[in-house]
Amino acid sequence: MSASIGWHGTVTHLHITPRAFLPMQPQEAIELVAGEGIVGDRYRIGTETGFYSEKPEEGRQVTLFEAEVLDAILRDYKMEILPEEHRRNVTTSGVPLNHLVGQRFRLGNCVVEATRLSIPCRHIEEILGKPVFDPLVHRSGLNCKILEGGTLRVGDPIRPL
Amino acid sequence: MARHIELCVAEARPAGPGILRVTLRDPDGWPLPRVRPGAHLDLHVPGLGPRAYSLCGDPAVQDAWTVAVKREAESRGGSAWVHGLRPGDAVAASMPRCTFPLAEGAVRHVMIAGGIGVTPFLAMAPVLERAGADWTLHVLHRGALPCPEDLAPWLESGRAVAHDTAVTPRPALEALLGAYHPGLQAYCCGPVAMIEGFEATTAAWPSGTARAEHFVPPILPPDPSARAYTLSLASSGASAEVPAGGSMLVALRAMGAKVDASCEGGICGACKIRWLEGAPIHRDRVLTPQERETHLMACVAGCASERLVLDA
Repeated sequence: MSASIGWHGTVTHLHITPRAFLPMQPQEAIELVAGEGIVGDRYRIGTETGFYSEKPEEGRQVTLFEAEVLDAILRDYKMEILPEEHRRNVTTSGVPLNHLVGQRFRLGNCVVEATRLSIPCRHIEEILGKPVFDPLVHRSGLNCKILEGGTLRVGDPIRPL
Repeated sequence: MARHIELCVAEARPAGPGILRVTLRDPDGWPLPRVRPGAHLDLHVPGLGPRAYSLCGDPAVQDAWTVAVKREAESRGGSAWVHGLRPGDAVAASMPRCTFPLAEGAVRHVMIAGGIGVTPFLAMAPVLERAGADWTLHVLHRGALPCPEDLAPWLESGRAVAHDTAVTPRPALEALLGAYHPGLQAYCCGPVAMIEGFEATTAAWPSGTARAEHFVPPILPPDPSARAYTLSLASSGASAEVPAGGSMLVALRAMGAKVDASCEGGICGACKIRWLEGAPIHRDRVLTPQERETHLMACVAGCASERLVLDA
């Protein structure tokens, strides 16, 4: 049985930033381009200006992060991390991201394929000035490539294919 | 290509004797990373490398960073380069770091600035004022005032006091700081001689209640349990001395070894390297006990022996 059966989630926040180090800014909607990335984001393939852009990666076109992890870190570490601070593009609710590696699923009207788990990095600590590295271990989100693009909005559903 | 922050000079204008005040923005006006009052910024000077300058703008302004740089006759080239900047020029910078923070919980802040050492306090002043703090800034200068426009409102309100040592005797630091009492926090930024005098004056104060910012960031104390060792590369025979608490990754890069690295925190596995001789200290969380018998993570590993040989 697929691990993806039995969940139905929602987009709670959307964020992009045009260049490395700059703060992620909230968006009501973002434009996903198949095979490339997000319009205006630093990791769109072809116009990459991200911190890790010198290491090309197909699966970094759009990144996701569970809102539930923010709650868990507050519970476990008494540390508040805001949705714009985890530096992934899409904050989700009700989606078991860690179970979706290798799977395709629907993100609003778009279709993405998860390539690997995101890993935390010291770069985020440098930007935030918060010791977020340890709290993010094993729950730092999901990297995906975009198979079918389109407009993604806050509140859009996320569901298995 | 993106391991730095791309900035653009928005404004460059004189701000006192030999001082240029430079305002930097994102090329598209995007907000910049938040900074703490007292932080400094490394500007990447072409051909010279990073040079640190205190940010002197209000940290609440999120789309601009400002530095005020005095052209030094003994400059290693950094201040001369800054003084050549013009609006529209591109500048690369590192993420600001704060080694000179405001003391949380202090009930009175007394700041001593020597000349261009006023810059970090210009960033602290609006933060303290908005917080309703009790604070005083003493600016010791000889002749024309540094950053007069930035200081003007604070001089007018009495928060800042200028001491022109060209016309009046240099005030005693003891008199400016007053006697220590619980809740008092002292700060100093200026030439070495001034900082030495400040440290002597506050030597008996409780730890942490007197903070000084050198123009060059101080070297962090090493981990007491770490030791220095010789790092050798089997392929080339090259070797380098790694100081106690020093980074193996930095040493490898300095030797020209091509080492991949990503998280630099011992978890992503990017800088995994085979070791051949010695006694590495493993601090990663990615290698299994079996893997550690042959490999290490260069970003976090140390060494317990005098020499460590890597298969690199």
